[in-house]
Amino acid sequence: MSIVGKNIPHDSAKGHVTGESIYIDDIPVMKNELHVDYVGSPYAHGKLKSIDLSAAQAIPGVVALYTHKDLHHNRLGPIIQDEPLLVEDEAMFVGQPIVVIAAETRAALAKAKKAVKIEMEELVPTLTINEARERKEFLDREYAVRRGQVETQFAAAKHTLEGTLVVGGADHFYLESQACLAVPGELDQLVLHSSTQAPSEVQHTAAHMLGLMQSQVVCITKRMGGGFGGKESQATHAGVMAALVAHKTKRPARVIYIKDDDMKYTGKRHPFQNDYKVAFDDNGVITALRINYFADGGAYNDLSIAVLGRAITHSDNAYFIENAELVGRICRTNLPPNTAFRGFGGPQGVITIENIMEEIATYLHKDSFDVRRANVYGLDDRNTTPYGQLVQNNNLPKLFDELLVTSDWKKRQQEVREFNSKSKTHVKGLSITGIKFGISFTNTMLNQANALVNVYVDGTVQVSTGATEMGQGVNTNIKMLVADELGIDPDWVIVMPTSTEKNNNTSATAASSATDLNGSAAVNACVKIRSNLADIASRYFASREAGIGAYPDGIKFENGLVFDERRPDNKMSFKDIVGMAYRARLSLGERGHYATRGIEFDWTAGKGSPFLYFTMGCAVTEVTIDRFTGDLKVDGVDVLMDVGKPINTGITRGQLTGAFIQGLGWMTNEELKYTDKGHLLNYSPTTYKIPNIQDMPARFNVNWIDSYNTPNVRGTKAVGEPPLVLAISAFTAVKNALSYVSGNEIPCISTPCTNEAILARLCYYESLNSGSAPAVNGRGGSRDAAVVTGGNGDSDAPAVTGGDGEKAAANVTGNGGDTNAAAIVKGLDGNQGTAAEQKGAVRVDYFNAAGMPVPAVKHGALRPLSESVARAYSGAKLRTGGPTAAGAGGKKS
Amino acid sequence: MRDYIFLYINGREHKVSGEQAFVPVTDYLRYELGLCGTKVVCAEGDCGACTVMIGRLENGTMVYKPINSCIQYLCQLDCSHLVTVEGLKQNGKLNPVQEAMVECHGAQCGYCTPGFVVAMCSMFDEGKPLTACQIKDGLTGNLCRCTGYEPIVAAGLAVDFAEWEPISKLYPAENMLKQFKEYLQKPLHIKSEGKELFVPVTVNEACKFKSEHPQTVLITGGTDIAVNMNKRGLVPEVLLSTSNLPGLSAIDSREENGRTVLEVGGRVTLKQLEDYISKLNEEMKYILWVFGSPQIRHAGTLAGNIANASPIADTPPFLFMMDAEIEVSGVNGSRKIKMTDFYTGYKKLALQPDEMITKIHMPLPLKDEIVRLYKVSRRQHLDISAFTAAIRLKVDQGKIKTAAVAYGGVAAVILRMTAVEEFLIGKEFSLETCREAGKLARSEISPLSDVRGSRDFRLALAENIFSKFYHETAERQLVCQ
Ligand SMILES: Cc1cc2nc3c(=O)[nH]c(=O)nc-3n(C[C@H](O)[C@H](O)[C@H](O)COP(=O)(O)OP(=O)(O)OC[C@H]3O[C@@H](n4cnc5c(N)ncnc54)[C@H](O)[C@@H]3O)c2cc1C
Ligand code: FES
Ligand code: FES
Repeated sequence: MSIVGKNIPHDSAKGHVTGESIYIDDIPVMKNELHVDYVGSPYAHGKLKSIDLSAAQAIPGVVALYTHKDLHHNRLGPIIQDEPLLVEDEAMFVGQPIVVIAAETRAALAKAKKAVKIEMEELVPTLTINEARERKEFLDREYAVRRGQVETQFAAAKHTLEGTLVVGGADHFYLESQACLAVPGELDQLVLHSSTQAPSEVQHTAAHMLGLMQSQVVCITKRMGGGFGGKESQATHAGVMAALVAHKTKRPARVIYIKDDDMKYTGKRHPFQNDYKVAFDDNGVITALRINYFADGGAYNDLSIAVLGRAITHSDNAYFIENAELVGRICRTNLPPNTAFRGFGGPQGVITIENIMEEIATYLHKDSFDVRRANVYGLDDRNTTPYGQLVQNNNLPKLFDELLVTSDWKKRQQEVREFNSKSKTHVKGLSITGIKFGISFTNTMLNQANALVNVYVDGTVQVSTGATEMGQGVNTNIKMLVADELGIDPDWVIVMPTSTEKNNNTSATAASSATDLNGSAAVNACVKIRSNLADIASRYFASREAGIGAYPDGIKFENGLVFDERRPDNKMSFKDIVGMAYRARLSLGERGHYATRGIEFDWTAGKGSPFLYFTMGCAVTEVTIDRFTGDLKVDGVDVLMDVGKPINTGITRGQLTGAFIQGLGWMTNEELKYTDKGHLLNYSPTTYKIPNIQDMPARFNVNWIDSYNTPNVRGTKAVGEPPLVLAISAFTAVKNALSYVSGNEIPCISTPCTNEAILARLCYYESLNSGSAPAVNGRGGSRDAAVVTGGNGDSDAPAVTGGDGEKAAANVTGNGGDTNAAAIVKGLDGNQGTAAEQKGAVRVDYFNAAGMPVPAVKHGALRPLSESVARAYSGAKLRTGGPTAAGAGGKKS
Repeated sequence: MRDYIFLYINGREHKVSGEQAFVPVTDYLRYELGLCGTKVVCAEGDCGACTVMIGRLENGTMVYKPINSCIQYLCQLDCSHLVTVEGLKQNGKLNPVQEAMVECHGAQCGYCTPGFVVAMCSMFDEGKPLTACQIKDGLTGNLCRCTGYEPIVAAGLAVDFAEWEPISKLYPAENMLKQFKEYLQKPLHIKSEGKELFVPVTVNEACKFKSEHPQTVLITGGTDIAVNMNKRGLVPEVLLSTSNLPGLSAIDSREENGRTVLEVGGRVTLKQLEDYISKLNEEMKYILWVFGSPQIRHAGTLAGNIANASPIADTPPFLFMMDAEIEVSGVNGSRKIKMTDFYTGYKKLALQPDEMITKIHMPLPLKDEIVRLYKVSRRQHLDISAFTAAIRLKVDQGKIKTAAVAYGGVAAVILRMTAVEEFLIGKEFSLETCREAGKLARSEISPLSDVRGSRDFRLALAENIFSKFYHETAERQLVCQ
């Protein structure tokens, strides 16, 4: 029986549950080892005037201090090398490293960080997409995919709708922060133990920046305590710092970011602000779509080009768009360079079209399922993407139709209507969204992998590939594939730490494709080994008496045994065949290489077939909102996916539930709040709220359909990223809920849908209905001091107090000294003064969470952001949409 | 006097003295002992990766509780037995919880896993199966970014108890308890590099020490103090740990003017209070259910929550609303202070330098009083409030007879909303009245914006909460949940 398709435990599970699994900070301290950290820029944008290291140098235990001058090269970046690791003259984001410090003790390190004197001139930062657009601060060029005649369709359309969708970023919140241990070797060689998704990237970058040959540097990754994209390109920073110290001092050197610093200074999911216009007919079928994407790239390129590219190529999502103009730019802001995060721009593309679908349904007073279903890619026609790829093996119609039934959509929609007409305290929403996620790196070159399979004379096997294990189970998948190929017990197969010594020039473990690429490479290596073994086995089984000659193709490997299929009762153990092969001096270690065929993409034309296949699915989500507090509860989620044929059903399921809940965090609670000086305010789990176990929906059905014909190893499909995107159904469900109270307006909300953002919308709609001033000022949206594009644009300009004043240097040194409740904005919006103020009551500075006094002005006000808006036109006339008259519980005007 | 901390870790005796007494438990475990299974992510109690079990002498036996070791300092651990993830195997094999976690894919990247495993072993220690809801309640303090929690809950439901061995069986307590009882007779005093730790065994000793060292920082559960030490640069020169004070860990009750009044000892944990009050008051039960996490509630105390004087603390609104009294002891005996008089300004307490809280007198609502408590936070569980409210009305024949209203998160201290109370008394109990009360409440306050919520958000909540209160109490049938 094949092991593939079974459910076996994760290969590290036993180590995890006993605490024996080793992460970078758990590797026993080495003799002479140094602790390494850095001092970064206090300003989001600043000119470096001088650095004074003398006081820090004098501290006992401080061994070395380095600046950019100590590096051979000082530029890094996975696509374009435009980011200085250590600031030369201009700092571009808060915390950008300036000085690297190595010390013998943690205490000396902490002292040294405070003693480094950096003089800088503060420059005006660009902190929002709007500011970048105004100042024309962009990274790289415009990217576009175009098909058909958008303008003509808009002119001819019966209905058009336009708007802006503001999509928030998110912190990866991998539990293990960025970390690297560098161990110097002989003759300037280095071994780097890095918590990275891209060991080759760390190896190449360290070699480049230190002026070493790539062959002098080995990077090893045993595992990560989570990655989610955050360690694809950005593990290099910690890696190079450790390498620099080890290389210069010839002592082992370890960098461990504390969580607060990791959150403050590393890149996030790209926030997007997307302007859209869509034309559609009476059934909601889209005839033309234009989206202008504006991604917040942060200070440097990092992976932004590829992220934007994936947003653009996922604008269509599950829907056929005949005429499309999908254009995007990357805004340069003075924030840490934003980077890969599970979905890689795909979610930001998908949410745009799903937002549009919801708005069309609201506007046309139609069932949002029907509107989506009418637009879903067809089987025989309406089945090419805007960039020209044919959607093959299209299971989308099947998925939508099946989920309609299994989720009880019609009945629940009716129940939601009834509930909303009765409840005075809550309002519910129900929505469905889909996903068609393209699998393969859009950069064709990266779609290759190599693997090394070693068989030992006792019949056990070691496999090494370029894939890195971050919990997603790639090693377990590969172990199962290898066991299956060799017909042996998976317990005989161990997947070894990823090392550039064994697997060279590897692609990052990313784009959900680690199992596809590395698993295929491992299979190819096994095929070679099997061929060697089959050769010798066939000679052994050949028998004149039985009349069978040596026929390698007839040799089978099953259940740890080897036999000739023509004489299956004569079996030999795998181990014995291996011994035989060894004695016959045959190779028992092989490398396999794999490159995905038939994919290409040309960004100058915006055309091509970049994806080997699509992972598909859809999800129905039901939410309940408290009308008085804005509290949001996700009550029910039904996920149905086409994930091909899973290699390990348990691991596949874990990816589905984990990705969905992670997406839910992005949609609901995870809001990144920055000051108008570019400091992140919620840089720890105290104030940055990822989903808790209690946030699991009470109804959580996760299933997949039988699926065939995937052109991939064992017919499996990549599953790491796509389910995250389905959490967008929670966002559209919120919109659906709001449509019951928004009167004639199309409900709009930015992400994340926090209770604060929702309450702001509720108050606004309430004010429309009652004609009174809204309880919350402005149009609401998810932001403080929101600036409304084209709306009532005056924002409050609050004065600010915050942070522990005496720790004003905390952000400079990044030693985690300041408070979590951090910046405190004084509401000085004069027009809103309450009676208490009018009475002249003295304003007190605010409190923080743990109750430390909160004096002193440190941060700026909260960074103002745009908010989402939508306007619909019927013919030439402006006509806003609203909930269906029939049965809608909300107030109508 | 003894100058070392005496404790057991995974069944082994440790004596810790000097500088080591002043480090977080996680540093000691990871960097001194090489027990790296216990992970540190946030170092402030918010992720649970560092969860360990602490066993202490309670009523003659060893009682184990899960706590966050990143916000426990060694100075709090005298006479306790620490069990880490490394100490959970049964006869060298995975225990049933570990087995279930393996089988059900409860671990992906594994970084959160030791914390989950310890928390689960702790909640399953009685060897009985739990429901999915109970499992979630037990794991509120543990964050996982990989699994989406579903596999972990599944693992909790799949634990096979046939082979279960409770901690008390893995680590016979007899010998430890004998030693602890002996050590607990006398105070302990450590001085090292300008730092000083005193662990008294009587309240008198404590007060005397405090009067002689006015800069003393009291540490009880440490869930506030330790966070300030880890993250906000607090370096107390003189620490007094209440961990060995007897007699402060009980909850009693008395009847007074027909009302039940709880007497909550100064070391009573929030978990103890939760268990005790769950049968007496649904509202307070809810507030304690969403208070921090099990780990926080097992360590944190009611006295600490009060003394920390945060305007967004979750228990004081109830105490304000119920006119609770704080009993404090000093060198000259004890006295009672009204809750409403306890805070004299931002972070200022009506305490003398020698005084400490020894008891909280907590009256409970009467059957005919309408009481609701509200906590609004970004995330329902394990989050600090953005806004809190406590409302108590007595309605007679449709008219409001008495009213007590307290708001938190709207000013530097928790407020009794006296103007609102005055407005309410004598009015008809109607939506209209409540709306008006909400508007009035809104006009009475001047909240500021912070990372947990904007001023506008807080103003809207201050207004809305009264309408919510009305619908939830007067029109219960229309509240759909
Ligand atoms: C992750 C996390 C989540 C939390 N969640 C919540 C929450 O949901 N709601 C909430 O309200 N709080 C929350 N808190 C704060 C904290 O847990 C509570 O305030 C707790 O009640 C403090 O009790 P403690 O015993 O740990 O206090 P400690 O930290 O020991 O002390 C707190 C303060 O009280 C003083 N003190 C202690 N004992 C006495 C005494 N007997 N007499 C006089 N002064 C004394 C101390 O000197 C210190 O100033 C949270 C904290 C953390 C770390
Ligand atoms: S490390 Fe996060 S709770 Fe202790
Ligand atoms: S398994 Fe990775 S955080 Fe839980």
